[in-house]
Amino acid sequence: MLAGVPCAAQSTYEQLRIIAPAAPGGGWDQTARVMQQVLQQTGIARAVPVENVPGAAGTIGLARFIGAERGRGDTLMVSGLIMLGGIVTHRSPVTLHDVTPIARLTGEYEVVVVPPSSRFTSLQDLLQALRANPSSISWGGGSAGGSDHILAGLITDAVGAAASRVNYIAFSGGGESLAAIVGGQVDVGINGYAELSAQIDAGTVRPLGISSHTRVSGVAVPTFREQGLDLVFENWRSIVAPPGISAADRGRLTRAVDAMVQSPPWREAIGRYRWIDRYLTGEPLVSFMNSEEQRVRSILAKLGTDGDTSAAGTRGIYPIFVLSGLALTGIAALIAGIRSRQPSVAMAPRWRSPVLVGIAVVANLVLAERVGFVAGSAALFWLTARAFDQRHPLRDALIGSVTAVAAYLLFARLLDLSLPAGVIEHWL
Amino acid sequence: MIETLRALGSGFTNALTLHHLMWAGLGVTLGTAVGVLPGIGPALTVAVLLPVTFSLDPVSAFIMFGAIYYGAMYGGSTTSILLNTPGETGSIVTTIDGYAMARQGRAAAALATAAIGSFVAGTLATIALTLFAPPLSALALRFGPADYFALTIVAFTSVAVLLGESVLRGLFSLFAGLALGLVGIDQLTGTARFAFGIPQLLDGIDVIILVIGLFAVGETMYQAWIHGRDDLQPVRIDDFGGMTREDWRRSWKPWLRGAAIGFPLGVLPCGGAEVPTFLSYMTEKRLSDDPSRFGRGAIEGVAGPEAANNAAAAGVLVPLLTLGLPSSATAAVMLAAFQQYGLQPGPLLFSSRPDLVWTLIASLYIGNVMLLVLNLPLAGVWARLLLVPRRLLFGGILVLSSLGAYSLNRSMLDLVLLYAIGVIGCAMRVSQVPLVPAVLGLVLGPLAEQQFRRAVAISNGDVSVFLTRPISAGLLLAAVIVLSAPLVRRRRSARTDR
Repeated sequence: MLAGVPCAAQSTYEQLRIIAPAAPGGGWDQTARVMQQVLQQTGIARAVPVENVPGAAGTIGLARFIGAERGRGDTLMVSGLIMLGGIVTHRSPVTLHDVTPIARLTGEYEVVVVPPSSRFTSLQDLLQALRANPSSISWGGGSAGGSDHILAGLITDAVGAAASRVNYIAFSGGGESLAAIVGGQVDVGINGYAELSAQIDAGTVRPLGISSHTRVSGVAVPTFREQGLDLVFENWRSIVAPPGISAADRGRLTRAVDAMVQSPPWREAIGRYRWIDRYLTGEPLVSFMNSEEQRVRSILAKLGTDGDTSAAGTRGIYPIFVLSGLALTGIAALIAGIRSRQPSVAMAPRWRSPVLVGIAVVANLVLAERVGFVAGSAALFWLTARAFDQRHPLRDALIGSVTAVAAYLLFARLLDLSLPAGVIEHWL
Repeated sequence: MIETLRALGSGFTNALTLHHLMWAGLGVTLGTAVGVLPGIGPALTVAVLLPVTFSLDPVSAFIMFGAIYYGAMYGGSTTSILLNTPGETGSIVTTIDGYAMARQGRAAAALATAAIGSFVAGTLATIALTLFAPPLSALALRFGPADYFALTIVAFTSVAVLLGESVLRGLFSLFAGLALGLVGIDQLTGTARFAFGIPQLLDGIDVIILVIGLFAVGETMYQAWIHGRDDLQPVRIDDFGGMTREDWRRSWKPWLRGAAIGFPLGVLPCGGAEVPTFLSYMTEKRLSDDPSRFGRGAIEGVAGPEAANNAAAAGVLVPLLTLGLPSSATAAVMLAAFQQYGLQPGPLLFSSRPDLVWTLIASLYIGNVMLLVLNLPLAGVWARLLLVPRRLLFGGILVLSSLGAYSLNRSMLDLVLLYAIGVIGCAMRVSQVPLVPAVLGLVLGPLAEQQFRRAVAISNGDVSVFLTRPISAGLLLAAVIVLSAPLVRRRRSARTDR
């Protein structure tokens, strides 16, 4: 690289990758993309590619991060409370102890709301009903084991009722749970303040309480604490580095994040997204994460991994129905097929073509990982073409290579997707 | 009403500036392109563009996002028809008759009816969005888990017309899809089922992987299987001219019905793009004077579903703009985009930023016209793609499918899964097991199970909710009627024969 400001070169990352262990659109993805903007804008890093590795409350991304990025000093991953919950509920073999914590960045308080027509007019009404019979109240919120579920458990536990009897209805995605809450399909809704604020302002839901320590400025919702429920809870988001990085790399990453957090664009973004600045690093961060882990583990154990008590009877029936249906129709179709002896389309295949296609896909799998995307795709193309017609080996090899390079440029450069890269890709 | 029209008028004044038209044009082109590519959808495209558009004003950005979203719905049908490979999940059923038409040399007509149908349905649905958005979204909120369960049951009835020639093989395919749907974390409890300790399976098997695997990879492998070098027949292309008078006559009603089915289902906050297309296909086959043409290149089987998926895309914008509820992946990313600009989509967006909302709606009308102008001439061009020698076509399909599958989660395991499903797809073709019921099973199975259990949990174990809630009871009754209608008709015709 010829370009580069000499004095800034030390603190500037040529490239700083951020993994968002969630699908586009959610809180972790937003955090990653805001970081991308701010880091590039402030010149802390020249290029900041964001990669989404969605699934299982971030634990799939976590497992990949630990496996594939070990020792890399130029990669970060967004993490947070929900990942702690996911690690417990999905019995993840890897935990947040396996990564290098860098900083807690932001937090978001949770709100408990009811439909405007609800019989609960205050938090006390709800807590009383909860004390009397916890399972009579249906809670609606995000995924099982996530922040909403954890808070529902903490509230029930705090009033002295059995958390195992919480009737929590998990909905997928922000939209679905919000629709159920606003539509009054559940008795009580739990969600992050940012997601519910527009509904609260419009009066389509009635807020009963917010999980902050003291009142949040500009938010006219009383806290749990001032209503006699001594409970503070936040859905915090943090940033972690891979395991096995050097102390120097760790220091450099911490300084970069620190510079980002201090920068005006970051402060402005925090206001725009209505996040709460919860910046924390070093030893306090580690002890914070440990105490949070304790809390999450204990409440999820009380909730039981299957908090779904009322529908427990129906849970096992469906898989049995499906699998026996599959077996029965399969056997019946097989018998019918043998009986009728229909002349199938290809009773006598020529093995060469299908075998070549098989080799083509295996070659792609092997080459893509070892040599890079372009080589894998070119081989895939060439071998597949050979399966159908073997008269133009050279021409097809050329067309295959051009196709592979064009596809690589389209996806990696234009669409900014990271593909397995090797020598050829770096040269491109 | 007058107020609405006045607001829309000022929206048009805004949208018709050269600056905004340019972004709409860029959006529809990009949208069509990502629609064509299997595996790459509008959600990912908008997410990737977010940082790029940060410096734009929000109105321009949303015009472009809306155009990308609509454009993807247009483009998705192209590969379905030409290559038997759905570009988007909303175009899965299009493969059945679309690909059959292409093999009969009628690719241009199929592409044209898809484009015009998309335009007609997209415009009608945008009109409905303009006029009735607030009351419609209020209605959609009344849908609870019990009602969604009943809706999936109605959608399941459409499997009866998708089964193909043998009921037994069709049901086997359906159950295979349902079984695949069991894999992954059980939404309601958070515990893993049938994941066999493989972390990548925790989130279940992606519909897109199944679709690309069964259709694109499976088709290529099947062609290789039946391939003998001598019988390599090029696909006939008789005309690039598009639709005949007969095609128009057969298409216009399916377009309208597709719009009528797609729009309301799009409005429902957890509908999904596939369900309306299944229902539209079922409707067309049931209403047809000669149902046996379906599966063999019936143009109605392309016109209806392609209209339905565009109408559903417009429907998705209703809860997004009026309530701030994202009901599709793209809508979720657009919601994030609103927040990027410090806007709060919610019940107050219409009153707090009328300029943005109405310019966006106006630009949807404009985008639809642009897409028609872009896609109609393209129909003939795309159809010529079939003139590419088949060996190169299949090589290209495998490269693109692999890319699409890999870029979903950047996981090599997804590629392995893709090829394994491809082998299964090939085996299913060889043994004449229809593919679409499997996709239907994977899409609807988890939905039906979750909503059933949610409904029962909310009612504290009382199963009668499905019959006591009016919407749910009505839908279940409709399902019974749909299933029993052919039996009644058969009995009646048997009687008259006598």
